[in-house]
Amino acid sequence: MRLNNIQESFKDLMLQPPQALETPGEAFAALFEEGDIPLHERLKVYRSNVIGGITDALIATFPLLKDLVGEEFLRDMARAFVIQNPPQAGCLNMYGAGFDTFIETFPLAKDLQYLPDIARLELAINEAYFAPDDESLSAQSLSAILPESLPALHLKLRASARLIESKFPLDKIRAFCLDPENQTVPNIQAGGVNLLILRPKLDIEFTLLDDDELMALSLLQKKNTFGAAIEQTLQAFPSFDLPAFLQKHIALETFQTLWPNRLI
Amino acid sequence: MSVEKTQTENTKQDTPPGLNDPVGIGLRTPYYQEILDVSPEVGWLEIHPENYFGGGIHRHFLEQIKHKYPLSMHAVGLSLGSAHPVSQEHLRQFKELIDRYNPFVVSDHASWSTSGNAHLNDLLPLPYNQETLNALCRNIDITQEALGRTILVENPSTYVAFKDNEMSEYEFLKTAADKTGCSLLLDINNIYVQSKNHGLDPLEYIDNIPADKVGEMHLAGHTRRIAGNNEILVDTHNREVCDDVWDLYAHAVRRFGAIPTLIEWDQDFPPLQILIDEAARARNIIRANSEKKVPYAAE
Repeated sequence: MRLNNIQESFKDLMLQPPQALETPGEAFAALFEEGDIPLHERLKVYRSNVIGGITDALIATFPLLKDLVGEEFLRDMARAFVIQNPPQAGCLNMYGAGFDTFIETFPLAKDLQYLPDIARLELAINEAYFAPDDESLSAQSLSAILPESLPALHLKLRASARLIESKFPLDKIRAFCLDPENQTVPNIQAGGVNLLILRPKLDIEFTLLDDDELMALSLLQKKNTFGAAIEQTLQAFPSFDLPAFLQKHIALETFQTLWPNRLI
Repeated sequence: MSVEKTQTENTKQDTPPGLNDPVGIGLRTPYYQEILDVSPEVGWLEIHPENYFGGGIHRHFLEQIKHKYPLSMHAVGLSLGSAHPVSQEHLRQFKELIDRYNPFVVSDHASWSTSGNAHLNDLLPLPYNQETLNALCRNIDITQEALGRTILVENPSTYVAFKDNEMSEYEFLKTAADKTGCSLLLDINNIYVQSKNHGLDPLEYIDNIPADKVGEMHLAGHTRRIAGNNEILVDTHNREVCDDVWDLYAHAVRRFGAIPTLIEWDQDFPPLQILIDEAARARNIIRANSEKKVPYAAE
């Protein structure tokens, strides 16, 4: 068997349920020396390392889910996800994209409708955590731009910025999970929330957003010009307060510097 | 094909402190702050570069720690033994880290972890034949070319043996080093695990590796796992180095000299002092068994 086929077969076997190790197929089994220890016991060591290791890496991204459903339940979901969606890169920092939509289809989680949004929140936190470091736009830099240049400007959000829109109160659910003293279960029907997840320097910051802010930031993130983003936001929300929006997000360090490579 | 630039040449560009003590330990997240606070007496620190891809807190600590210790970068994600070529994106991120943190040595394993679009995140076994040798050498060439330096390649622990092996593991590694100009990273615990799992002679293994091919050694703990009526030794990096492996290490030091040696510990992390004590034990074995100077020592 060629190396490529050996590795394909090995990979396929690792991603099968554990009982498949007992019947790996004649051609595959014939590749290996027979010894005192049965082949399936030897393969079990690998499968345990592969699935266990990736599952551990995945669940480390979801401490809120772990708190809400318990480690055993989370591990069951994670293991099922890993088998269907193994990592595609040799670095697992960002692994887990799609776990939110996978949970939507996980039969035992179907009554917990807020779980996929908690997973989305935790994926966003993880992405922000590992996003490339960059610098923020200062008020001075923004005020130095000529007013007539502003509409054509591409005002970028920081590399760590993630926008979350949910019909569940993710902020209250998160606060509940983080405070072991808090026994008051939040009312998950209490209304939705828009959140900006941002890592200005080392720590992740969470900021509640109004609908108009969410729209403006979302349009900027989708690479619209400043003029187009503001115009569309004003059309949808005539009361959108642009000066207040800019002041708030300059203070939060939401925007990336316009001169990332300047020498100062 | 071999890359001309040698490790000695790379070392001359080092900005971090020179390597005066050959024994290092792994820099892992639970130890970041303590290492900065107490500056433990170890010669160098090893990182898994993949943990530092991207930005954030890990880089923040590494920025500070790089001024205090020489660094080695021991990759776990290149999948050098894959039938397909190494990921250029992985190499790009690795190179960016190397350029920024200037490690005195970089390495990965003689194993595979990626097949098609799936990365299995483990060090999986290879048949030791000509086809595998060609694939491994091609991937070492690609890596050395992309990184602009030679790398070290580590011998694995394995739990199966292939029937169509055309050569022993040490012949396989030795040939790969000859063909590509890479050096070898000898994991002494892995040699011990191989000897128990496959009935090999660990001394024969060590004595058949040319002394000038070995750039680093690793020491780690393993776990005995029951398998039917027998046991398999599994390379778990979660406990102290066992006495048999210390004895083998002394033998290896007599053959290879005072080359950089890493105490590896990657799960069930103990207090940092345990790693420092293990490093001291390795240092004592080097003192007792080697006359040679440490390569890479600051001039």
